[in-house]
Amino acid sequence: MESLRTRKHKDHLIEQCSDAKKKTEKFKKSNGGLTKKEQHVPNTKDKLFRISFEIDLLSVGLFFCGLITRMYKLEEPKNIVFDELHYGKYVSLYMKNTFFFDSHPPLGKQLIAGAAYLAGFDGRFKFDKIGSPYPDTVPLLALRFVPAFFGSLIIPTSYHLMLELGLAQWTSLLAAILLLFDNALLTQSRFILMESMLLFFALFGIFCLLKFRNYYSKPYSIFWFFWLCLASVSLTCALSVKYVGFYSCCLGLAIIGRDFWKLLSSIAISDRAIFARFLIQTVITASVSVLVYLCIFYFHLKVLYKAGPHDSIMTSAFQASLEGGLASITRGQPLLVAHGSQITLRHTHGRTCWLHSHNHVYPIRYPDKRGSSHQQHVTCYSFKDVNNWWIVKRPNKNDLVVEQPIDVIHHGDVIQLVHGITSRALNSHDVAAPVSPQCQEVSCYIDYNVSMPAQNLWRVEILNKDQNGEAWHTIQSMIRLIHVDTNTALKFTGRQLPDWGFHQHEVAADRIINQDDTVWNVEEHRYTKSEDQKERERELVTAEMIPTAATSLSFWEKFFELHYKMMFSGTESVQNHMYSSEPLEWPLMSRGIAYWVSSTSNAQIHLIGNLILWYSGTFGLFVYSSMLIFYLLRRRRLCYDLDAKSWEQFLLIGETFLTGYLFHYLPYFFVERTLFLHHYLLAFTFKTLLLAALIEHIYSILNDVLKFKIIAYMFVMLVSLWVLVTFYVFQKFTVLCYGTTPLSTNDVVSLRWKDTWDFIIHKN
Amino acid sequence: NSWWLVFGIICFLTLVTRFYKITEPDHVWFVLLECSGVWDETHFGKMGSWYINRTFFFDVHPPLGKMLIGLSGYLTGYDGTFAFDKPGDKYENTSYVGMRMFCTALGASLVPMSFLTVDEMTQSLTGATFASLLILFDVGILTLTQYILLDPILLCFIMGSVLGAVKVSSPRINEFSKSWWFWLVFTGTMLACCISVKFVGLFVVLLVGLMTLADLWNILGDMSRPVMATVKHLMGRSVCLIAWPVLLYVTFFYIHLTVLNRSGNGDGFYSSAFQSQLIGNSLHNASMPRQVAYGAIITLKNHRTGGGYLHSHYHLYPENVGARQQQITTYTHKDDNNKWLIKKYNTEDTGGVTIVRSGDLIRLEHVPTRRNLHSHKEQAPITKKHYQVTGYGENGTGDANDVWKINVVGAKDGTEITAVSSKLKFVHYLQSCALTTSGKQLPKWAYEQQEVSCNPNLRDPNGVWNVEENVFEKLANVSFEVYAPTFVERFLESHAVMFQGNAGLKPKEGEITSRPWQWPINYRGQFFSGSSYRVYLLGNPVIWWCNLVFLVIFVFIFGASAIRQQRGYIKSFSEAHKEKLVACAWLFLGWLLHYVPFWAMGRVLYFHHYFPALLFSSMITEEIPQWFGEKLGNTVYHTLVAMVLSTVVYSFYLFSPLTYGMSGPNANEPNSTMHGLKWLD
Repeated sequence: MESLRTRKHKDHLIEQCSDAKKKTEKFKKSNGGLTKKEQHVPNTKDKLFRISFEIDLLSVGLFFCGLITRMYKLEEPKNIVFDELHYGKYVSLYMKNTFFFDSHPPLGKQLIAGAAYLAGFDGRFKFDKIGSPYPDTVPLLALRFVPAFFGSLIIPTSYHLMLELGLAQWTSLLAAILLLFDNALLTQSRFILMESMLLFFALFGIFCLLKFRNYYSKPYSIFWFFWLCLASVSLTCALSVKYVGFYSCCLGLAIIGRDFWKLLSSIAISDRAIFARFLIQTVITASVSVLVYLCIFYFHLKVLYKAGPHDSIMTSAFQASLEGGLASITRGQPLLVAHGSQITLRHTHGRTCWLHSHNHVYPIRYPDKRGSSHQQHVTCYSFKDVNNWWIVKRPNKNDLVVEQPIDVIHHGDVIQLVHGITSRALNSHDVAAPVSPQCQEVSCYIDYNVSMPAQNLWRVEILNKDQNGEAWHTIQSMIRLIHVDTNTALKFTGRQLPDWGFHQHEVAADRIINQDDTVWNVEEHRYTKSEDQKERERELVTAEMIPTAATSLSFWEKFFELHYKMMFSGTESVQNHMYSSEPLEWPLMSRGIAYWVSSTSNAQIHLIGNLILWYSGTFGLFVYSSMLIFYLLRRRRLCYDLDAKSWEQFLLIGETFLTGYLFHYLPYFFVERTLFLHHYLLAFTFKTLLLAALIEHIYSILNDVLKFKIIAYMFVMLVSLWVLVTFYVFQKFTVLCYGTTPLSTNDVVSLRWKDTWDFIIHKN
Repeated sequence: NSWWLVFGIICFLTLVTRFYKITEPDHVWFVLLECSGVWDETHFGKMGSWYINRTFFFDVHPPLGKMLIGLSGYLTGYDGTFAFDKPGDKYENTSYVGMRMFCTALGASLVPMSFLTVDEMTQSLTGATFASLLILFDVGILTLTQYILLDPILLCFIMGSVLGAVKVSSPRINEFSKSWWFWLVFTGTMLACCISVKFVGLFVVLLVGLMTLADLWNILGDMSRPVMATVKHLMGRSVCLIAWPVLLYVTFFYIHLTVLNRSGNGDGFYSSAFQSQLIGNSLHNASMPRQVAYGAIITLKNHRTGGGYLHSHYHLYPENVGARQQQITTYTHKDDNNKWLIKKYNTEDTGGVTIVRSGDLIRLEHVPTRRNLHSHKEQAPITKKHYQVTGYGENGTGDANDVWKINVVGAKDGTEITAVSSKLKFVHYLQSCALTTSGKQLPKWAYEQQEVSCNPNLRDPNGVWNVEENVFEKLANVSFEVYAPTFVERFLESHAVMFQGNAGLKPKEGEITSRPWQWPINYRGQFFSGSSYRVYLLGNPVIWWCNLVFLVIFVFIFGASAIRQQRGYIKSFSEAHKEKLVACAWLFLGWLLHYVPFWAMGRVLYFHHYFPALLFSSMITEEIPQWFGEKLGNTVYHTLVAMVLSTVVYSFYLFSPLTYGMSGPNANEPNSTMHGLKWLD
């Protein structure tokens, strides 16, 4: 038995190469020789060490059509178009090795940056606003080449994807042509934007998975491993271009899961074998994906080692690990916080600001008639300022000079914090805070002799003492300050004080200790030195404590911090963008996005899909769903309209494309961010593929099941006519994709087929 | 007989636990949410009073719950005069007990209903007892259902819907029999009530809908019956579960809008036409010319919800905020500075009567200051992408930038412009931008009124205005009654306003809201606290953690048996086993439907949102030991049930001070009785 299996295995390996070819031959037969194909290498079945390969000219042809449409006049317009503003900026920062923060993962930008690097882009161009012209120093062709290339690849990929699902070659060709003729895909592929890469990786990943399915009967063969790994890599790449790629991964998992579930029912495989297979499949998928993802981020963090414009989003430790920026300020500052340390305290997570106080007092009464302590403000201030300095002091010592041996503060020690400029101590008491009355007010204590004693003792709690030890470290230690008398924690409340507090952020003490907003860390630090101390001693003190190297964080620390910030930022996106749209508007394409307009004429680029295609796609969704329900109801009453094989096929296209559509569309209803039409492109692609598959199904129903040959013939004619109309609409709207043709006002108005489309018309 | 005995005992226990100390505390009870809470007895009690006083108000929830509170208060002699001003106020002589009794009674009905539901699903007395005792002894449910809140009402209706749906699909009730029809109508009624109390009721509607579909699917699959049987079922159910609830829902709104016919604090959220229906509102019984003519003095109200009137005053924009010209804002109160004179674009002459038509070019002159509404290419003060709008000119003479094109939304050019009903857009003639308000507050220099700007995107949804007052002597006044919106219009408008209100409940930066993952593990409760007398909303940890453990066990069992079946080890399940499995699966689905959606919600969430899901998980908890019972024999099963129950009762005893209120020192002080039970922080 065993030997038989291995022999089969070998046979199979040999067959691998000619496998695809056989398939095409089959199609050749079924399509009566209509397909054009060329085989470069003759049959080499019984010869060893030969590689036979074949080229599907259709697929190559489609690729070239894609290249031609996508690359035509790629360098025009020579201006910044829409989001090139952001992505171009990120690419230029890559060139300069400068750290930036973006809530999307980096792969897409890396690919473009790679091309830019090869073309010798020095990154010295300020992507300031949409429409500003590119100078000759920017290798625009190289920058736009990558998205356009991937955009062209989408077309043959979808062709093969359809073939792999067992659909006829004509159908696959139809699907590819439909995608080729969509204006939105064309526009989106021509500029420095992420969607074409995302789309390619997602489709290619699904294609690999379908290939993988062919080897279910021969697990652990080379090709079984190969396609599984390739699928994981490709889908992870999709995820690393934009996180919406996650839904493509889910689709992939759903397909594998569904197949596996079916596999469970086969008695031929033993329990143990099936479990082993499940385990191996999971381990391979997970490890490959994680590895790819980590590599991408490793590269990202490795390349970006200089401080840059988005530093302040990250924690002090992260900033200090970058070259320049905070690192240059904090270099050489003492490491351990001790009695007598002068420090600035930064609010670690969320908004960047420093604990601050100044010579103003809380108003006696607030507008809502609550009283205050009338003591000095304590706030959180977002700018560097001399008033951000505080001195750490032990309650029982008065001399602030740091002496040898240094009196280091440890976890659990009780300290006072004295404001550097006003010399008043940080204090809290049972008075409601100005803006968040459920918290306690924090002030700098002024003694008014009104039987309100100072409560200025704070206990230092170091959160990450497991990593850095019990001593309080500059930058690295994340601390909470617990007010000793009331057991509350010093907290940034996130609200702004009114006018009297100069709109700075409120700081209060909250009973709920365990939250992110109560975490602080020391950013700048120096020891207090009295002038008349002995020179030598002071030098000793400082020299000993200077860190020999700049703060360095391990890759993992940086990786996790970056992800933490990526998860919790992104709420700051623009509200009410002029061209934003709602998910409900997408299927009927209520509005596009103006990408660019020439300053001299009405030549413009506008993201808008092919109207015919989008509407028929939406219509196709309804037709497919209603047919599905119809079949299901009929089958429930034991009326089998389709034979088992075509029923399987019908289900398969739904399980792949309809699920794909829903996976990439429905989640947007729960997204809070501003959304645009281009978020729909993934779902749109699946919708179009479903449409093509549905056309084949209807044709086969008419032709094979109902045997209305004439109607089937008419249906084909109708479809051809529809494709022609689609092409007509496509070429009519290409002016808005390329943006090279100056349009008159009338031209623009005549393209405005729907009242809700907002094209731009210059007024003269 | 033993069935009745057990049922009786459970009902008795319920009454005892629920009505114990119902009159305490005798002051208004309130919930201190972590930060800013307006969700308390003052809130809903006040709304009850408003129903009794027939004062119109605005709330983000549909009206049934508050209507019932109002009704119960009315029937028990509460006169609606108590102010419900601030938490901690003494009720004194107010008869508040009726309202509290009503809520408690609805809350108490949860226990017998869960008993009946589980009994119907599993046919096991022990199971039913177990499930209802879990709900009975949960301190969280007890706390939540003791005060004047919407939750007891909602929970009761949810439970009712589930009970009804279970009864309808039960094989033990003959289809199309009298009791079957009763339960079907009962389910429909309960569904309507759920969704008219809070929109969360939608999830139970979804659950019942799925159960019904599954039922129909089974009937369709039964080849021994004709297709007509399915059609008959389909008809019966769509009438009772769709048409009837919709009718009820609309009726509740009809009652709501009919009862509340006096002007109150909710007026401003609604349109002028809506307001004209409220007694006491300045628009009520007003009369004015129907058409707007040149020379008329008008006020313009923004059409967004809560939008103010176009306003100006003798103050200039400060230095560095666009041009130093007169401020234009929107202002929500009515005063003389809201008045505008409507003029032709080219002449000051207002002789004769010319009606303003859509597409006309006009100028608007601010009556008190005699400056024209003007816009130019300067940034607006807050929304930097818009242009600034100012008041410009002297004595009504300005320049070409004062010209606006007036358009009626959705009408052809040349349509006459009418007061109140026309939705107007003002498009600046030279710059082609639409007069709009962003709704953002301006700083102190503009007295914190709202920003008005000119948006180059003409499709701005906030750029719609309507004429509210219209003074013009040469045209005959007509009564405002002609604008009276029909019930359907008012119904739709109140929904639009409600949805907008719901969408606006976003947490502010820095505010701690409860997150869904914290709920099932009973992570942190919610304070219901008075000054010296405190109540804390916290589930009985034994029950909650049991629920969690049993949920996991259920998923495991379900998955394992599905895989075994797929592998062919189980050829088919026994009828009883299958029934149990299906029952559990439905309950689990119910739990999912009432819990998972909260993960996707961006609005402010509170701990009490978990309680509907808790009901479902408690019922699942009951089924699992039965499972083991089957496998391990009756003795083990009974021991297990007894053990869990005794722990539950003991923990109830421990935690009951939380719900009945405690007046001792805080738990973080060492001499408190609750010190030993201090919760996960």
